[in-house]
Amino acid sequence: MKRVDLKESEYIVKPATIIKAKPMTALEKFFEIELDSGASLDHEPGQFVMVSIPGAGDAPISVSSSPTKRSSFDLVVRNAGKLTGVMHRLNAGDKIDIRGPFGRGFPIRILEGNDLLFVAGGLGIVPLRSLINFVIDNRRDFGRVNILLGCKTPSDMLFGDEVEQWGQRLDVNFNCTVDKSDPDWKGNVGLITSLIPGVNLDAEKTFGVVVGPPVMYKFVIKELLNKDIPARQILVSLERHMKCGVGKCGHCQIGNYYCCQDGPVFTYEEIKDNIEAL
Amino acid sequence: MSKPRVAFFDFACCEGCQLQVANFGEALLDVLKLIDVVEFREVMSEKSNEKYDIAIVEGSITTNHDIERIKKIRNTAKVLIAYGSCATIGGVNGMKNNFPLEKIKKYVYNKDANYFDTIATKAVHQVVKVDYFVHGCPIYQPEFIEVLKSALRGLPYKVPDYSVCVECKLNENECMYDKGITCLGPITRAGCNSWCINNGNICYGCRGMVTNPAKNAQMDVLDKYKIPLDWIKNKINMYNKAGEQAPEEK
Amino acid sequence: MKQFKILEKKDFPQFIKRLSKKHKVVAPVSRGNKSYAFTQVDSSDQIAMKYIPTILPPKKYFMPQRETLAQYNKSKKTFQTVLEFEELVIFGVHTCDLAGIQCLNIVFSDTPKDINYIARKNRILIIGLECNDYCDEYASCKVMDSHHPNGGYDLFFTELKESFIVHVNTLEGEGIIELTGLFKEATSNHLKEREGVIAAKKKIFKDEVDVHYKDLKPMFDKSAGSKVWEDLEKRCLSCGNCTNVCPTCYCFDIIDEINLDLDTGYRIRQWDSCQNEDFAKVAGGESFREERGQRQRHRYMRKFSYPVERYARHFCTGCGRCSRTCMAKINLKETINALAKENR
Repeated sequence: MKRVDLKESEYIVKPATIIKAKPMTALEKFFEIELDSGASLDHEPGQFVMVSIPGAGDAPISVSSSPTKRSSFDLVVRNAGKLTGVMHRLNAGDKIDIRGPFGRGFPIRILEGNDLLFVAGGLGIVPLRSLINFVIDNRRDFGRVNILLGCKTPSDMLFGDEVEQWGQRLDVNFNCTVDKSDPDWKGNVGLITSLIPGVNLDAEKTFGVVVGPPVMYKFVIKELLNKDIPARQILVSLERHMKCGVGKCGHCQIGNYYCCQDGPVFTYEEIKDNIEAL
Repeated sequence: MSKPRVAFFDFACCEGCQLQVANFGEALLDVLKLIDVVEFREVMSEKSNEKYDIAIVEGSITTNHDIERIKKIRNTAKVLIAYGSCATIGGVNGMKNNFPLEKIKKYVYNKDANYFDTIATKAVHQVVKVDYFVHGCPIYQPEFIEVLKSALRGLPYKVPDYSVCVECKLNENECMYDKGITCLGPITRAGCNSWCINNGNICYGCRGMVTNPAKNAQMDVLDKYKIPLDWIKNKINMYNKAGEQAPEEK
Repeated sequence: MKQFKILEKKDFPQFIKRLSKKHKVVAPVSRGNKSYAFTQVDSSDQIAMKYIPTILPPKKYFMPQRETLAQYNKSKKTFQTVLEFEELVIFGVHTCDLAGIQCLNIVFSDTPKDINYIARKNRILIIGLECNDYCDEYASCKVMDSHHPNGGYDLFFTELKESFIVHVNTLEGEGIIELTGLFKEATSNHLKEREGVIAAKKKIFKDEVDVHYKDLKPMFDKSAGSKVWEDLEKRCLSCGNCTNVCPTCYCFDIIDEINLDLDTGYRIRQWDSCQNEDFAKVAGGESFREERGQRQRHRYMRKFSYPVERYARHFCTGCGRCSRTCMAKINLKETINALAKENR
């Protein structure tokens, strides 16, 4: 067996540096990352990267920042495996490698000019934040914006300061809920689906953008359909196990779709008959 | 950075896994560059004096004294690696659990039975927390080294949760069942690179079973190959009996 | 008709000898009772000319069970992608396996291209071998239309009475003809004899299942709630044999290995199987194909539905390996017939 260097490969990595790192909750840690080449990541909101650490492997992580932020990008990493465990030990100044961005993000050009209803459950806020901040940074290009946020308890809330700012904006309708309250919590208590009926929207020009844990989708989508939002205007981002990111390894397959290439963003129209999707 | 102090201990076992480590050959020199072996009964007479970072434990827990001793080891060690079937799943010592304890005690020690303290065989993790497992009877050397590297780097090591058949097929061995021979490959967890079958032997299930072994489907297979259930049960019992406690005295 | 050459059977030993002097040659070799494996040979008597599909298909040369994708050095901060390859002649590839290699070619040439696969494939020469009769009862190559050659080889051997008639398909194939210097032009008698073989095959090979080729995809597309999957749920051991031996399964895992210096190491790609417990499990612990029946359905859909949509091609070659190797005797022909029966 001969071995030669390959200058062209889907597995080439881009060296990068962590410029900021801070724990968010007991399980999640925030990272701000700069590519060493100085280039922008140039991602679409909703895309993901493969984070690679030689010796620990690589794993798919959603990009959490808006592409309007050019010089660096944000990742939120939950400590759930080998690579993410190693990630959690890293701090500002440490090096990692990046492949990607991969996948199909949110269709910004199609969303422009329309009303948006964001529904984020739990960690769903991580990929959705890239689109929400993009929309806020280009606020005039979009119609009415509603943000609904749900998490287990108030202490699980990610990006608390930023979320508070969204809530204070006059050009954004914001509402959030927790499954289980604590003594300091003054907001809603209950499932995120309970917030949807109260939203005032024009179904014909509203896009529902839903990201959350697998169990959430069916219930939220049902509420959105009840609001007469058409299936093609409901967008979801699906989580699957990914190894290659380039539509080959088979791990992320959802029926005939490769989540890493054809997704992770899908319209409900595309997946409603796919028995493996939801 | 100083090298981590590593101590090897043994409980009820044949010490064959220690021999596997001592027989690493060239890799042993590389291993010794990474660790400081402070206790290893089979190869050295020095003792650790209870100063070690990593304890590597062979053998199963079969006496009350063993329980005290393994608890002490656990309290001292930052990391505990159980290696070899006796330590990880009870192994052949588990066969004792096929019989009522008093009966087997009498059978072995006869009139002196009362002088011996014995309990149902337990794997190490059934008594104390185990951080890493190296399954096998004996251990498969490359896997031991993988586990050691993971432990030294503080990374998890995941024992494959698929069957030995997966590795056996990749090694392109002729299937034992096609030769008319019963093999435990289909229910035994992989990680040994189908070592035994590569060398013409069957899989004895020494690594323990996969988490979801599809019992009903297995019955169908036995039926199809006309293999009596007892045969396969006996084969499984050889290594996998410590999961159950000894039956009550009748 | 110049592309047909003749190799006398008496010259075959010399052919393998000369070929293996210049190239690494692999061919089907017996491995016990009714098992065969592609293995390196240097003499014709090592080769099993009448063989049933090998334990692993020749895909093992195109996408090896384990392959290094990159090597790294942590302290030097290098991460270099690499290609592992071997110049190789594969002799005696049956038409079903030629079809299997074509399927893999399509997948790995699809964007984004897999350079490792393509670069390796370009260094492998393929000599096909016609099946004049069925391998055994597990084969369903006629219904999948892979019982006769559809390209994908450099040379293709068809056995006649006294000789092999050899179709020369590529310049590289012609190179082998010249290198070995044992071939002569085919005469009209040879060509007629070949026609006879093909005509005889038409009588032997008949559709092996109760469904027409064209109806397979619609049938599988409708099968989501079928009892057939419930049956497979009860029977499957999820040992992964069916996918590992499949000539068109290409799922893989990527893992990092580190040397004992804890500094240098490799990124490795190795075969994986959708039948394995953890295959579709995400970090949170949820598995998207928890049930064995779902996993079996997925396997079949990846043969008879998804690739037809994506690449306009069935990814079953009818080689019969999955049925032959199944511990639980799950049989592809029976599964198809059971679905067909439900549909009626």
